[in-house]
Amino acid sequence: MAIPRTVTTALADRPVAGAVCLEAGAGVGNTTAGLLAGGASRVYAVTNERKHAKSTLERVRANADLRTDSPGRVAILEADLRDIPLPADSVEVITAHGLFNVVPPADLAPIITELTRVAAPGCHLVVDDYEPLPDDAAVADLFALENAAAELADGRPMLSFYAAATLQRLFVGAGWEFDRTRTLLEPVPWTETHLEAHAEVVHSRANRLDNALGERLCEQADALVETIGSESVGEMYSLAFRWPA
Amino acid sequence: METRDLGQTGHESTVATFGAIALNWLEQEGADQLVELALERGVNHFDVAPTYGDAELKLGPKLRQHREEIYLGCKTQERDYEGARDKLERSLDRLGVDHIDLYQIHGLEYESELEEITGDDGALAAIRDAQDEGLIGDIGLTSHGDPGLILDAIEQIDDLATVMFPLNPVVMAKSDGDGDSEYDYEAVLERANEEGIGTLGIKAFAKGSWPSTDELPEADRPYCNWYQPVDRPDEIRERFDFAASQGLTSVVSPGDPKLVAMVLDAASRYDGMAEETQRSLLEAARHDESPVPEQLHH
Repeated sequence: MAIPRTVTTALADRPVAGAVCLEAGAGVGNTTAGLLAGGASRVYAVTNERKHAKSTLERVRANADLRTDSPGRVAILEADLRDIPLPADSVEVITAHGLFNVVPPADLAPIITELTRVAAPGCHLVVDDYEPLPDDAAVADLFALENAAAELADGRPMLSFYAAATLQRLFVGAGWEFDRTRTLLEPVPWTETHLEAHAEVVHSRANRLDNALGERLCEQADALVETIGSESVGEMYSLAFRWPA
Repeated sequence: METRDLGQTGHESTVATFGAIALNWLEQEGADQLVELALERGVNHFDVAPTYGDAELKLGPKLRQHREEIYLGCKTQERDYEGARDKLERSLDRLGVDHIDLYQIHGLEYESELEEITGDDGALAAIRDAQDEGLIGDIGLTSHGDPGLILDAIEQIDDLATVMFPLNPVVMAKSDGDGDSEYDYEAVLERANEEGIGTLGIKAFAKGSWPSTDELPEADRPYCNWYQPVDRPDEIRERFDFAASQGLTSVVSPGDPKLVAMVLDAASRYDGMAEETQRSLLEAARHDESPVPEQLHH
């Protein structure tokens, strides 16, 4: 599987070769793959979801190029980003590619504190995420439904789209020096596959709710997927920071 | 319409090339109109092949009328000397012209073919002899096949002036840029540009493969294309802008006449595409099934 251009673009101006890296929120391992392809000496892929840990491992195993000289080049850590199992000052490049949109506001500060703790002097940090969607975006209705189901089931939202300026201020407030911003995607393609995955989240949360309410949420989610089909809207940005040397 | 250097041929091709296969599906009057439309829009590069039904015959009348305005590309699928010579003469006869500007080895697919073509009795020798006689101008190559093989051809054929190959967001999204993958036409584009070889992009408008013939019989396909095309004006424009933004010399129009006018319109309005928008198209296409190279063996 090729490494997405969003990842290669975000990493293009970072000194990945030879660096000890941390992918915060591994997903399917796209950024881990990008870091390994960029010559990272070691990549810690941290995720709190077992299926993401597994898919990242499979991704690395399936790609011969990424495995080259690599026994030990990648470590997949199933852990909470609020409590990263790595020593302080130990990481030279940190990436958070599409992470913060699944971080509820209450967890922002503890995660930023932990990422800052593990950063070595001179560490580079790349934060890629989505601007809040415009009010007239059709997909916003599906995401609102997903958040409603998650709030009802878990007591916290599933998705939070933070403006680039907001995350920039938070990291600068934690002591990071702002380096640059760039647009990765504009518009953002929310494909049928994406929408189905979000509808699936509604289903999984709704299953834990009172039957009638849960059923209505699922019906609405399925109807939105059907109506929207796909939509290209919004912006994905990339922020880069530097921890003082 | 924007023009670009066609490699080192000395010709400046328009950013859109008229794929004359579209004429095969039209009566002569419609074919004449479509050629006139392409010319009115400023297109100066036409591409045809003897394998496109009777497209050569239908292109003939307007081609002869406007011969000076058109840089004419034609092709041969023959691999040996005699076959290539015969096909060239047949094409000159059917087109009714005494010179073809770009004569291309058509549809390279296998390493063994490359060996035969470049051998002493191969098609290339016939094409070079025809070049010495003034029957053709530049020498080109087309392939829907293995990008690595096209790279080998670039390596082995010193006088190659152009290459024609698939380029669209679906294959670009699957390309890993190292020339090893079956979709890595990006490596071909980069290499050709380094070598000063003109680049002609096909399948720019591919959305995916057609469903199986059990599901959708060939006769019921709504478009006369090898692949299922995007077909809305905004999608056509997006795909054109994407392909033209990758550094190709020219984007070849699709095979179905119904799509050609939209492509010509997109080409005449082309003014680049932002990098983030290019990435958006790649991201949207990343999980799509590629119509290349599954449609090779047509």
